[in-house]
Amino acid sequence: MKTEQIDYKNFYYPPGGILIWILITVELLTFGMALIALVFMSKEDPELFHKSRLLLNSTFGATNTIFLLVSGFFMATTVHLFKKRKFDKASFYLNLTMIGGVLFLILKTFEYYHKIESGLVIDYNTFFTFYWLLTGFHVIHVLVGLVILTYFKFTLKKLETEDLEAGAAFWHMCDLIWLLLFPVIYLIL
Amino acid sequence: MVIAFSCNLFNTIVMQKKDIYTLVLLILLTITTAFFSNLENGLKVIGLIILILSGIKFIAVAFQFMELGKAHNFWKGLVISFLTLFIGIIYAVL
Repeated sequence: MKTEQIDYKNFYYPPGGILIWILITVELLTFGMALIALVFMSKEDPELFHKSRLLLNSTFGATNTIFLLVSGFFMATTVHLFKKRKFDKASFYLNLTMIGGVLFLILKTFEYYHKIESGLVIDYNTFFTFYWLLTGFHVIHVLVGLVILTYFKFTLKKLETEDLEAGAAFWHMCDLIWLLLFPVIYLIL
Repeated sequence: MVIAFSCNLFNTIVMQKKDIYTLVLLILLTITTAFFSNLENGLKVIGLIILILSGIKFIAVAFQFMELGKAHNFWKGLVISFLTLFIGIIYAVL
């Protein structure tokens, strides 16, 4: 059984490669600064932000968290199986990963639909401007992640381990961003 | 060779088990976070607990699913520093 060995302890070769980790660092800093700005702004009118936050459905948020976490677990399993050259099983788990992402998007669409129907659009107030921009950019990342996973689905056997790991790292980055967004936007303001 | 194969198989099973344990932990922490958010009555400490629980989830995903634990200390330090700074600033501003 062939198992590929990469020296992850090397500074230049974190799992997925240095470029994806530079991207992840920049993304986390960007979303992190935007969330800090949101909390700073909430101090100007705490009651408005608190009441606006209560208009969000935290059950949807928690369910979406679970969808992404389970999807991330399947992605990690896909990478393990790929490294063992078990392509059929890896392909199966890659499908499950994508289903997790699609479920996230379906629930998000449902949530957005209700917000729009209730008139809680991007210019409703400052909180909802942040809500739409931050969750909207996150959704774009999930969509890009799904495109990458779809490409992997059709080219799995030809892929290099580093390529799959880089794609997996991007997918996990969507989890990480959501793990910052969910508590700040849906729970603590 | 047999020993190497057995070790390899054992490592795979252990690795998969760790992933499963991590997933269970993540789901439990998500439910716990939701529970604490329902207790929210303006107390700053509730916000801190929610942030810390979310921080644990963040670390679990990064170190287990993204295999950051295997990486150079610089990358581990970077992620932990970012998270500490983020939680610290949010808590300070809350």
